[in-house]
Amino acid sequence: MATIIACFKWVVDEAYIRRGSSGELDFSAVDYKISDYDRNAIEEAVRLKDAVGGNVIALTVGLPEATKGVKDALSRGTDQCYFIADPSFKDLEPAQTAKVLADVIRNRVGPFDLILCGEGSSDLYAQQVGPRLAENLGIPCFSFVQKVSLEGGKIIAERRVEEGVEIVETQLPALATVLPDINIPRIPGVKDTLMASKKPVVTVKKEDLSRVPDATLRTVGLAAVRMDRTCEKFGVDAAEIRRFVDGLRKRGVLK
Amino acid sequence: MAGVWVFGENRELTLELLGIGRILAAEMGTTLSAFLVGDREQAKGYISRGADEILFLPPLQEGQSLDACIPVIAGEAAKADPDILLFAASMRGRDLAARIAAKLDTGLCGGCVAIRFDKASKTFEAERLAYGGAAVQKVAFTKRPAMAAIPPRTFEPAKEESGREGQVRELPAAPPSTARVVEKKAKERKTTNLPDARVVVCAGRGFDKKEDLALVTQLADALGGEVGCTRPISEELHWLPEELCIGLSGISVKPELYIGLGVSGQIQHMTGIRGAKVVVAVNKDENAPIFGAADLGIVGNLYEVGPKLIEELKKTP
Repeated sequence: MATIIACFKWVVDEAYIRRGSSGELDFSAVDYKISDYDRNAIEEAVRLKDAVGGNVIALTVGLPEATKGVKDALSRGTDQCYFIADPSFKDLEPAQTAKVLADVIRNRVGPFDLILCGEGSSDLYAQQVGPRLAENLGIPCFSFVQKVSLEGGKIIAERRVEEGVEIVETQLPALATVLPDINIPRIPGVKDTLMASKKPVVTVKKEDLSRVPDATLRTVGLAAVRMDRTCEKFGVDAAEIRRFVDGLRKRGVLK
Repeated sequence: MAGVWVFGENRELTLELLGIGRILAAEMGTTLSAFLVGDREQAKGYISRGADEILFLPPLQEGQSLDACIPVIAGEAAKADPDILLFAASMRGRDLAARIAAKLDTGLCGGCVAIRFDKASKTFEAERLAYGGAAVQKVAFTKRPAMAAIPPRTFEPAKEESGREGQVRELPAAPPSTARVVEKKAKERKTTNLPDARVVVCAGRGFDKKEDLALVTQLADALGGEVGCTRPISEELHWLPEELCIGLSGISVKPELYIGLGVSGQIQHMTGIRGAKVVVAVNKDENAPIFGAADLGIVGNLYEVGPKLIEELKKTP
């Protein structure tokens, strides 16, 4: 039996971000999603629960509008969700997020065996919340994990390092951040979504936190990256392919 | 106390940090210190390439991994109060940097691609990519020390200078961590010249099966280039090794010519080819995003276009 916490972030789907006329980011047409690799973390938490028994608590911090994300997380097989919500939590930086999560885990969620996070979020990809959270809670951390199991009060993980793979183990409680190839996250069905609405959600407000941590980083600029290419299109018949290869030759990129 | 401190898990990574570290230290009028784990022989080389001080960590005990050094590095930084700590953002490096930043309760710019010191305000400003590479985020630090994790190959490695001197300071041995390494598996490294290739031919999701990637190799051979791939090809399908994965989470390439076969053009991938001189896309979907970021595009089935291209390239002009 294990109590597993799966952390997730409700983020802007970057595929919908446009570049405005003066180089600003245009968020007007964006949709939201559970950050890609956090879906792997949720999936792995549920798979571990299926293997050893116990329960999975989904945990997120963000804007009150993220209720859709809470429901999405619950429809992916988690048992309950702690939703830390406040209108001022729009742009928390990693140090703040990790402190808020640690605060709520310590003071509200209670004892746990394992925390799983994605290796990084698909919006800012700072790759810090997992490792920082582990330090804040004073527990061991394995990052970039591609395989994980729980055995006799221990976590055994396969983590990716520069030279290959390291198999590491430690006593629980511990934290691991997972790589996307650890599993293929399920796509919730209608039944899962219906069941999700019946699962408990604990909403934690800003006032319920011990304190709201100060930022250690300040964003002083955010601008769209230019990709200036003028795409000349070609067809597939012989004449077009010839014209295309001539185009490459003119640009001096063929030897 | 002050100074620029750098940590890279191997020599190559450390030399890149010494390169940028030297520039910052000169602007700040301070010293440059480099961590070195285990292999004292490297100290001389680091000093001749810009380090004023070597922070030497004794070799790790059997079954311990680099994580064990976290308390020693954080403890030393808390005591000596450097201005800035730079980490090479290998996987271990990213993990170490984040955990040390938490211990020091300070800000860390992850995936840092540029860093500047402002002499007037005596503060740092760093740049990183956000939203899969669609945006550049500029950050300022509100606490000491500033920290940054810098991806490999972002900065030029430091060059050797003659007559440089420096000291070696030995730090206490890391107390054993409860985390143990029980086994190591070295990956089979396929030697690749991809990072420095003049021509890159990249395989994307448009391929139906692994065997069909022969077409990518044939086209690369015809052009004297190297093969690369998008993340799904290496990470999901495991058709090619991960070191060939181009993009934000893989490697960046700067070829004269990049050809994407069946590559849709997700922003995370396109970020890795931003330095390419000419970008070519072959995709049957004329609405694929890659056409918006390519110089030349062929709208067509790669199974038809590929062989025709190889044929045409064989003809001398």
